[in-house]
Amino acid sequence: MSKKKKRKPKYRDIELNVMPFIDVFSLLNTFLLMSAVFLSVGVLEVQIPFLTSAPPEKKEDERSFDVKVDMEKDKIQVTGVWSKPPLNEQKRDFKVTKEDIAAMHKFMIELRRTAPDTDKVSFFTEDDVLWKDISNVLDAIKVRGPADPVFAPKGATDVQKAIAAESIYPKVVMSSVML
Amino acid sequence: MASVSSDSGETLSLNLMPMLDIFSILIVFLLMSYSTDPVSYDVNGGVELPESTTLSSLDELPAIKVTKTEILVNDRKVANIIGGDVEDKDKAQGAIQPVYDELKKLADANKRVLGGRVSEIDKVKMSTVTMEMDKNHRFKLMKRIMLSAQQADFIAFKLMVAKQSS
Repeated sequence: MSKKKKRKPKYRDIELNVMPFIDVFSLLNTFLLMSAVFLSVGVLEVQIPFLTSAPPEKKEDERSFDVKVDMEKDKIQVTGVWSKPPLNEQKRDFKVTKEDIAAMHKFMIELRRTAPDTDKVSFFTEDDVLWKDISNVLDAIKVRGPADPVFAPKGATDVQKAIAAESIYPKVVMSSVML
Repeated sequence: MASVSSDSGETLSLNLMPMLDIFSILIVFLLMSYSTDPVSYDVNGGVELPESTTLSSLDELPAIKVTKTEILVNDRKVANIIGGDVEDKDKAQGAIQPVYDELKKLADANKRVLGGRVSEIDKVKMSTVTMEMDKNHRFKLMKRIMLSAQQADFIAFKLMVAKQSS
């Protein structure tokens, strides 16, 4: 029986040259850091009232639901009322605090549930209210949270569905601009 | 592993692997936070935006910028802000005359470019203006600017906010 000699594999020290990696990573890092925008900017869309010669959208004899938000420096009043009897007025006051604005958002959803076809809010503000407080209230009126219901109008187009997926009340009219 | 030899012939090696790890993590973070918004915009240094949970992204650059001390229309300074309001010389029937003048020029230029062929989408775009405003300004100033814009045929506003990170 012949004895076979097992050859031990020869290991050589192999060094991986990581310098090109580092060069590429450094360049990529520099580019990304220079082009990075760390503040993500969004927009809140609002309208202001205007005079037009176009015929009115809704008929005078139609019963519609009007939603009004009145904001003062430390108080917000939300009112929802039908234009014709029975008026069924729903009115609530809120403070300008985080908790109350969250409660106001829930009330806005209740109002939208009352009249899903009404997608417009008239927003009145006092002159001394800060823009940062206004933006919080606009969020509560407009922005739909992940757990909130979607209010898409009947026979909605894709664009309308996309708007409904983002907003509770998509149209906010800053009515006090004209006062 | 990078190595160098000293004068005494001793080889010193530098372990570059931790550095590569850091670079990889940094690149992954930067790529993940890389903005995919349609418009990438650096907020004016003199403006602090209010925070918002809005999902709507910025889709055009702001025409009106209201910093703590001045109002700019298309990057051109048109009025000073002193004590949270514009100077008396700039006020006109509740509006701000220089802001109106600049926005009117902008509205006229838009009309000239589009000519007579104006679609419904164009009409909406033409009547919309984006505004960047410092969060500590009061509604009084915003109202003046909105009124000036309304007189120049801008009736819809996109008010810039800083998106809250979720």
